[in-house]
Amino acid sequence: MATQVLDISPVGRVEGDLDVRVEIDNGHVVDAWTQAELFRGLEVILRGKDPQAGLIVTPRACGICGASHLTCAAWALDTAWGTEVPRNAILARNLGQIAESLQSLARHHYGLFMIDYTNKKYAGSPFYDEAVRRWAPYTGTNYELGVTISGRPVEIYALFGGQWPHSSFMVPGGVMCAPTLTDVTRAWAILENFRRIWIEPVWLGCAMERYERIRSYDDFLVWLDEASEHANSDLGLYWRMSQDIGLDKYGRGVERYLSWGYLPHEDKYNRPTIDGRAAALIRKGGIYDGRDDVHLPVDESATREDVARAWYDESGVVHPLERVTAPSDHNAPDFAGRYSWATAVLHADHGRMETGGLARELIAGGTHGEAWQHVDPLLLDMYKRLGGASVMLRHFARMHELVGLYREAERALREFRLNDPWYIKPIERDGRGWGATEAARGALCHWIDIEGGKIKNYQIVAPTTWNVGPRDGAGIRGPIEEALVGIPVADPRDPVEVGHVARSFDSCLVCTVHAHDRRTGAELARFRVA
Amino acid sequence: MANLLWLQGGACSGNTMSFLNAEEPSVCDLVTSFGIKLLWHPSLGMELGEDLQAMLRSLVAGDMPLDILVFEGTVVQAPNGTGQWNRFAGRPMKDWVADFSRVANYVVAVGDCATYGGIPATAPNPSDSIGLQFLKRAQGGFLGTDYRSGAGLPVINIPGCPAHPDWMTQILVALATGRGGDVSLDEFQRPKTFFSSFTQTGCSRNMHFSYKVSATEFGQRKGCLFYDLGCRGPMTHSPCNRILWNRQSSKTRAGMPCLGCTEPEFPFNDLAPGTVFKTQTVMGVPKTLPTGIDKIGYIKLSTAAKAASPRWAEDDIFVV
Repeated sequence: MATQVLDISPVGRVEGDLDVRVEIDNGHVVDAWTQAELFRGLEVILRGKDPQAGLIVTPRACGICGASHLTCAAWALDTAWGTEVPRNAILARNLGQIAESLQSLARHHYGLFMIDYTNKKYAGSPFYDEAVRRWAPYTGTNYELGVTISGRPVEIYALFGGQWPHSSFMVPGGVMCAPTLTDVTRAWAILENFRRIWIEPVWLGCAMERYERIRSYDDFLVWLDEASEHANSDLGLYWRMSQDIGLDKYGRGVERYLSWGYLPHEDKYNRPTIDGRAAALIRKGGIYDGRDDVHLPVDESATREDVARAWYDESGVVHPLERVTAPSDHNAPDFAGRYSWATAVLHADHGRMETGGLARELIAGGTHGEAWQHVDPLLLDMYKRLGGASVMLRHFARMHELVGLYREAERALREFRLNDPWYIKPIERDGRGWGATEAARGALCHWIDIEGGKIKNYQIVAPTTWNVGPRDGAGIRGPIEEALVGIPVADPRDPVEVGHVARSFDSCLVCTVHAHDRRTGAELARFRVA
Repeated sequence: MANLLWLQGGACSGNTMSFLNAEEPSVCDLVTSFGIKLLWHPSLGMELGEDLQAMLRSLVAGDMPLDILVFEGTVVQAPNGTGQWNRFAGRPMKDWVADFSRVANYVVAVGDCATYGGIPATAPNPSDSIGLQFLKRAQGGFLGTDYRSGAGLPVINIPGCPAHPDWMTQILVALATGRGGDVSLDEFQRPKTFFSSFTQTGCSRNMHFSYKVSATEFGQRKGCLFYDLGCRGPMTHSPCNRILWNRQSSKTRAGMPCLGCTEPEFPFNDLAPGTVFKTQTVMGVPKTLPTGIDKIGYIKLSTAAKAASPRWAEDDIFVV
């Protein structure tokens, strides 16, 4: 069979639109390249601006995870200015972050991911007719429910921040809002509605309390077999159909995972510093090396960006704050040279890393960190029992976080002390800061360097940058590039398998696949994957 | 049945995310109840493979009618006017926009980027970004001042960063159901029905504005955000406090100063040092006054307001 080339465009909007090129031989992908196709230069815009300009500009880096950007921008300024942040403000920031993630879970699942299960390729699956009935775009019963219900959690964001997307309500020293009992009660009612309309009857087919008892792969299998409501829930059907159509068999990736951790505890990060962050987080960060089964702590200072294969007039492997962000005027794709606006992000000691829900959940299974921090052994057990990562496990990990995040939102609402402060006015000063969080799709952080009362340098490393970065200077593939190698492609004119892999990383937006014959260069097909 | 094509240029997808929050009507309603055929959307469309390519070509050729083109994001012109920094389907997005604008019956720009340039066009505008018919306040933009779509209208601008979902879905329904003639536009080509009142109209802090009671810092329940925290609500045109966000609230109600994101100059002052969340004043008088008030009038008004201010105005009225 002739070797063919597929081009995928684009894969994400955090660093811009992304194209992916895939070479296929004998029905399998043998090589892959990811290309970012949009440069807007937000870091260039921020140079010389007001220190707080990032609070306005960076949520607009990504309309999908704007609350996550705002979280990073605020904490970066807090660490630079040495602020005091009251407990109410920490809880309100966490609640904003969680509300956005709950929205993203439902919206990505139905709006972007499950549509592929209705692809005609799977018409032979015994689950196909039911999949179409539930998940077909616009008309599927649960598609419409899922897309509509995804707007509810961000109503909570609006109660605290005024609107979603694109509020700037988190500021150094706290938050802008001072909600009352009615806001908190409304927020609680919205959460309850989200649970009663979707999470329990549609997604789980059981009470959240039953699902929360699942701590191992065996527990999960017991749950799945326990009742027809479980097996036929959207989660149960997802699991069974994923196995039936082989999504547990491919999409492994780089097998090393990174999370910055998130949700600082309201009583442990009131004097925020870069060094004090890791021990203050409810959900711990770290690194998990799946090859050696080792958990390690993680430190921002080990972050490196390699621009060897990216369209910048820069060179070397440097810490993000050492970058000057000099975009090149010459951005024709050269797959032997530079081919992307995304840089290759790597850990100084451990190389390329995958970020996202799977990374967070594998790290949540580790015994590193503080004794009080969140631990959940389920995904680590599944990872080992099922032989590593796959499309199915990566997306399951993301959706598994739903119930836990719901509980954290409930806790934040309970913990607010409405007559206590929400903001402590800080003193503006020069300095360097770092803010981080976990967007639904992975590790996000901002560095800021303030000098002379204005921004000297502002740098963002987004989850999409980690995952869809191009090769580095040593020729090592990025995580999505690596996850694509070896996957089957049954029909090069409709390579839905490429879409499954790209979407399992929760790429921001559209991915169009262009299929080319490797020898003639003729375009065979083009399709959308996210 | 109205064919709609939605494309994104230099965008963050914030308007798409906002659009998906729509309730009356919802995005699914547009398709199932209001006869809009969503030909393609970067995150919603289902047209695949050769179908999409063939469809784009037949739209450009005029073989298939393009009733509504929705554009989100800036038109990226860098580097050197080539547009190569933003490619779509193998060519600069700006070339696609030029092609589709020639055949579209209506062109709708959603969000600040597509209307006026927005955040990407902030100095130094590294991507050489421009709106469809404006760059900030200057008319012209990518399509030129004289551009008219097939229906004889200029680009319909629905600004905001992002635009509110109801502003978008309600205009799209009007265009798809033959009520395009009822859409009247202001000098910045915004539908007057949404953009004639002010952001302040309906703000829950209006009484504090009237009595000149200021929220001097964040996290306060009482006080107007205009006097110290840089709120642009009195001089920004939007219905943010009439048609609430996410059905619940608005930025000013929640304590966040209005940034003026439905006006062409957003972000104001290009975010220069000292201008963010701080009211710019000269001798204690704001540099930018509520629309239609001059400096003398403002001083008289605020002196009278202070003098007439009731005792309760200094207390919280929004209490736990």
